[in-house]
Amino acid sequence: MASIKVQNLRKEFVTSDSTVVALENASFEASGHVFVSVVGPSGCGKSTLLNILSGIETPTSGIAEITENGKKARNGYVFQAARLLPWRTVMDNLMFVQKDRDAKSRERCQRYLDMVDLGHTANKYPGQLSGGMQQRVGIARAFSIEPDVLLMDEPFSHLDAITGRSLRKELHQIWMETKKTVLFVTHDVGEAVELSNRMVIFGKGGRLREDLKIDLPFPRDPADDAVALTKANVLRKFEELDLVAS
Amino acid sequence: MIGMSSTVTVARGPIRLPQGFRRFWRSTKTARAISLVTFLVGWQLVIPLLPTALIPTPIEVGEFMWAEIRADTLAPETVYQAFATSLRRLVTGFGIALLIGIPLGLLMGLFKRVESFLHDFVVVGLAMPSLVWALIAAMWFGFVERSTIITVVLASVTFVIINVAEGVRAVPKDLLDMGKAYGTSDFHRVRHVVFPSLMPFLFASMRYGLANGWKGLVLAEIYASTSGAGWTIRFWYDARRAQGVIGYALFFMIFALFAERLVFKKLSDRVFRWRPSVGAQAPAETDGSAEEDLIELETAEDNLEREASGKH
Repeated sequence: MASIKVQNLRKEFVTSDSTVVALENASFEASGHVFVSVVGPSGCGKSTLLNILSGIETPTSGIAEITENGKKARNGYVFQAARLLPWRTVMDNLMFVQKDRDAKSRERCQRYLDMVDLGHTANKYPGQLSGGMQQRVGIARAFSIEPDVLLMDEPFSHLDAITGRSLRKELHQIWMETKKTVLFVTHDVGEAVELSNRMVIFGKGGRLREDLKIDLPFPRDPADDAVALTKANVLRKFEELDLVAS
Repeated sequence: MIGMSSTVTVARGPIRLPQGFRRFWRSTKTARAISLVTFLVGWQLVIPLLPTALIPTPIEVGEFMWAEIRADTLAPETVYQAFATSLRRLVTGFGIALLIGIPLGLLMGLFKRVESFLHDFVVVGLAMPSLVWALIAAMWFGFVERSTIITVVLASVTFVIINVAEGVRAVPKDLLDMGKAYGTSDFHRVRHVVFPSLMPFLFASMRYGLANGWKGLVLAEIYASTSGAGWTIRFWYDARRAQGVIGYALFFMIFALFAERLVFKKLSDRVFRWRPSVGAQAPAETDGSAEEDLIELETAEDNLEREASGKH
């Protein structure tokens, strides 16, 4: 079972004339088949948290680790922009992140491309696909390494509402099937309520302010009363915590 | 009544030409062709009126070139030998420029201190007229093969350095981070992220480096050599045969067009086949490099041609 452990995490960015604290004394743990949303206003260190967990950045102090049965876990990462190599085909983009670049991996990549309904684009270049399709390739890439944990950084924020909605449905379905641990960064409370069963709220200065459970049955329709009510409650909480920009 | 209405029809507009001819007449390609023909006919007609024997008519130039193409020449080298000699020097010189320029460019792009150290030299190198390099090489090394090659190196190396340095700075950090997050090796990332993103800049350095190197080479051959295309143009100059000078200038153009259309275009189409279209991708990866203007020019030309052929 995969588990995410963040303990007393602090990250500061030092520039020539100032020090910006992105995360301050953040602690939480998550493991198993959970979908954890990390929400908060922009500049609260959400993306930094994912970058540290994925190894792109190093923490200033504290612990941030993802383990699978005690060993270092394999993480899939879906970024805000698709981040595909424009000079490689869709299939080769998936192969780029594989540990073994053999026929078996290729087969697996094809399977996950099929899963996001893009099997027919394997030999196309990213530039030939729409933004929504590229994002789906990015999602297929994350799943294609059969990760222990899936990190997602506002993966749908660049898409139009309709595409975003259908991808959210798709993501939920895949999460139910694969039973992965998902850490999902977003600033969209509605999206977080719709998808996650736990919500971690960060405030200004990268402080963890609230850790909420969302006990609603899946699938959740955003138009459903209970879902809408929960969203309203979370937004009220935001106001109580003084997170809303005045 | 019938008579009247037919009169009205005639009076309504200009004479209706066949559709095909109108398209031909309105095409920009036709306008270009007419401009060229007018120039050549004007040239041919005006020369006999001038009191000089040093300006050849286009027909004389054509005759000279045709004789050269048949390898029938008074010069010590045929046009093929002359260009083969020059091409060998150009390729050797530019090869050396790549060997020197790529590592220096990489260092300059990676390290601020190296950048500060080399910056002024590179700017001076870019601004230096090729003539100066040719003269310096001729003075220091004399009438040897080395002089011509060294001129090519000096005239092209700064273009390689500056473009590679610019390319290193333009390597997409978000893609490198992506590779890191997925745990790929450094080598894997250099090969599949850094190197491909450098390609447009290497191409730009090749275009400008070779063009400038070629200009330097021709001058070096004039001052410091006894063979090659530059030297042969000097031969015709000394012989007071203007058709030789103009004919060779036209051979240069044909040579450059050949290199651009058949070698560069093919190569870049192959390397950049992932690009949906040149225009759509241009702003993303030219980013301050010298290639920008060239792409704009090409796009403009493509548009003209597309317009002309009526496809879009």
